[in-house]
Amino acid sequence: MSAVGSAQNTARAGGPALVGRAGADGGARRSLSVGRGGPWFVLPFVLVYAAFLLWPLVYGLGMSFTDTSLVSPEAEFVGLDNYAQLASDPLVWRTLGITLLFTVLSTVPLVLVALVMALLVHTGTRGQWFWRFAYFAPFLLPVSTVVLIWQWLFQGDFGLLNAVLGWVGLGPVGWTTNPDMALWSVVLVTVWWTVGFNFLLYLSALQAIPATVYEAASLDGADGWRRLFSITLPLLKVTTGLVVVLQVLASLKLFDQAYILYGGSGGPAGNASPILQYVYDTGFVNYRLGYASAISYAFFLLIIVVAVLQARLTSRKES
Amino acid sequence: MMTEHVLSRRAFLRAAVAAGGITALAGCGSPSGGGGAVPLAYWNFFVGGDGERMVGLVDTFRDEAPRTDVTATTLAWGAPYYTKLAMACAGGRAPDLATLHASRLATFGKELVDEWDLAELEARGVTPDQFPAPVLERVTIDGRLMALPLDTHPLVLFYNTEVCAQAGLLAADGTLAPIQGAEAFLDAGRRAAAVTGANGIAFGAADALATWMVFWSLFRQLGGRIELPEGGPAEVDRDAMVEAMAFLQTMCDGTIASKTLDGPAAPASFASGQAGFLLIGPWEIVTAQNAGTPFSMTQFPAIFGDVPYVRADSHSLVLPRQAKVDPAARSAAYDMAVSMLTNSLDWARGGHIPALSSVAESPEYLALQPQSAYREAAQVVEFDPDAYFSGSGSTLMSRAGQTLQGITSGALTPDEGADDLIGWLDQQLTLGSPV
Repeated sequence: MSAVGSAQNTARAGGPALVGRAGADGGARRSLSVGRGGPWFVLPFVLVYAAFLLWPLVYGLGMSFTDTSLVSPEAEFVGLDNYAQLASDPLVWRTLGITLLFTVLSTVPLVLVALVMALLVHTGTRGQWFWRFAYFAPFLLPVSTVVLIWQWLFQGDFGLLNAVLGWVGLGPVGWTTNPDMALWSVVLVTVWWTVGFNFLLYLSALQAIPATVYEAASLDGADGWRRLFSITLPLLKVTTGLVVVLQVLASLKLFDQAYILYGGSGGPAGNASPILQYVYDTGFVNYRLGYASAISYAFFLLIIVVAVLQARLTSRKES
Repeated sequence: MMTEHVLSRRAFLRAAVAAGGITALAGCGSPSGGGGAVPLAYWNFFVGGDGERMVGLVDTFRDEAPRTDVTATTLAWGAPYYTKLAMACAGGRAPDLATLHASRLATFGKELVDEWDLAELEARGVTPDQFPAPVLERVTIDGRLMALPLDTHPLVLFYNTEVCAQAGLLAADGTLAPIQGAEAFLDAGRRAAAVTGANGIAFGAADALATWMVFWSLFRQLGGRIELPEGGPAEVDRDAMVEAMAFLQTMCDGTIASKTLDGPAAPASFASGQAGFLLIGPWEIVTAQNAGTPFSMTQFPAIFGDVPYVRADSHSLVLPRQAKVDPAARSAAYDMAVSMLTNSLDWARGGHIPALSSVAESPEYLALQPQSAYREAAQVVEFDPDAYFSGSGSTLMSRAGQTLQGITSGALTPDEGADDLIGWLDQQLTLGSPV
């Protein structure tokens, strides 16, 4: 969020000032952090956190070693059977592949389009507030509304998209019926829906670049393109890193828009069925909770690997 | 002043806690609500026209039994509903009465619902012989009646009377002339398409439910069978499957039927006169009526063979298993179920064929047009294969929908489609049943 970007900025710019202030009225601070009352204020959150996050995490992990069923009270410990089974389950690999493909297909436009939009708005067009609002507005819509709108746009026989294609003399596209288009349509919906968030991150980063840098560059005779490639883009590197990390994680979570767009069917030929939908279907539609837990933990492991790799890459780049 | 303030706040807090505790205790004391009424929880999944009629049925029962306090809960149809109901049953805190598709009994029939006591039913005037034989067979497991059918809803054929008149497809009495055989059906579609200038048959080629209903009807008319033994492999008549898929592909040629129409669009296209026929369940009668389309309905024809076997399901009522059964609530559940069955004439207006013979044979129902025109379908219904992942709103339906959409769009040949579906069935069976 923009909060993340600005937090970084304030931490860097205002760090020393904060320390100084803390020293000045340290007395008042100590009573909060050292006094007996502190833990009690944290307790309500810790309880909720433990009950609804930590405990389910541990419980789910335990469940992945059993054959727990949603509809029968008995569950037996099966060791690593579930994990062995998922390794040879073609649907696990297929849906995982779809999720990874979606992550690649969606992250690229979600970063590039957001950057271009932010640059355009930042060039100082009139009515900036309007563009900011217009680009961000879809992000505020609930996913079901977004998909409902797009279902009608995608409609093959009388949808707007195919009508527009018809006006320019192109044939209709099976947006939600052609197996080759199925995932692209989800990408399209997702880009329209969430690009505003990355746009906002970029815009706030752009606004944080001091005008003096550009002034100096202009004095040295740098034109607009030169300023873009030599000043703006290099200074946006940190934000780009952040946007990419957040976007990859968000795209790996693909479930809701694909699930609603295809009514839970996975799309034509199942080409838009992400791994999280397979987890949901296995656990809640087919009642096999133990196996579903195993799949989600295997996927969890993969996300951790991705996150660690990404952190490594960025830290190396920075150093 | 400061002290006073603190004290008053503490006093307020104490009072609030005490008051809250008392309210909570009072809540525990009278779970059955005011006036000693029997609380009865009923779950269903009906929305739209069916939802309104269901509210009517519940209200009728409320009037009949003022001492029963019915809480009717409507949940989203499909997997979400069945997941919640299964969890509630497994947890022992299920509602007293629930709606279930008869095709879902493979999962629910074994442990999650209680059987209906025939003596209790008979005391209220309902006996098993009052239901259509094929439906009764489906809801009876090991000789025990596990679900009480409210209706049968087969795949039906809607036809636009004006389009069909222009296409010369009507008989002398103004109803659709009988269609027998694959070529006759396709020809009727072509002739209707020539009149509308668009499609002959509105068919949700991209919709899992629509494609499955037609596929399963054709497959069963061809004598096809699917047996799904635990552990696999699936026993499937592959030839019948290929032939049924080939017919679907021929039908979805872009003229007879669209290759791309989705679930909501198919009835809409029929209602707006862009097609002469519509293949879907009878509940879409409301869509056509609201649009003012000149239409009627008939039984799905025999496309293969002589008997017009047709894919159907039955909304039925079950007694979900509870950890502790309240006899008063259980008795009220019997009352309510019987009340809904005997008052199902209004339910039938929504297109469903009433299951109870006293309603299905009543002059009022027979006078309902076009609803009673396809009532004979209840005698030739074919339910989905028997497995925990099968039935209305199940994984099988949505997964088969993927394959069938490949067929209707032309992405898969019938041979590839059969391999795809059978391969998935085999894989699914190796996972072992969670039931």
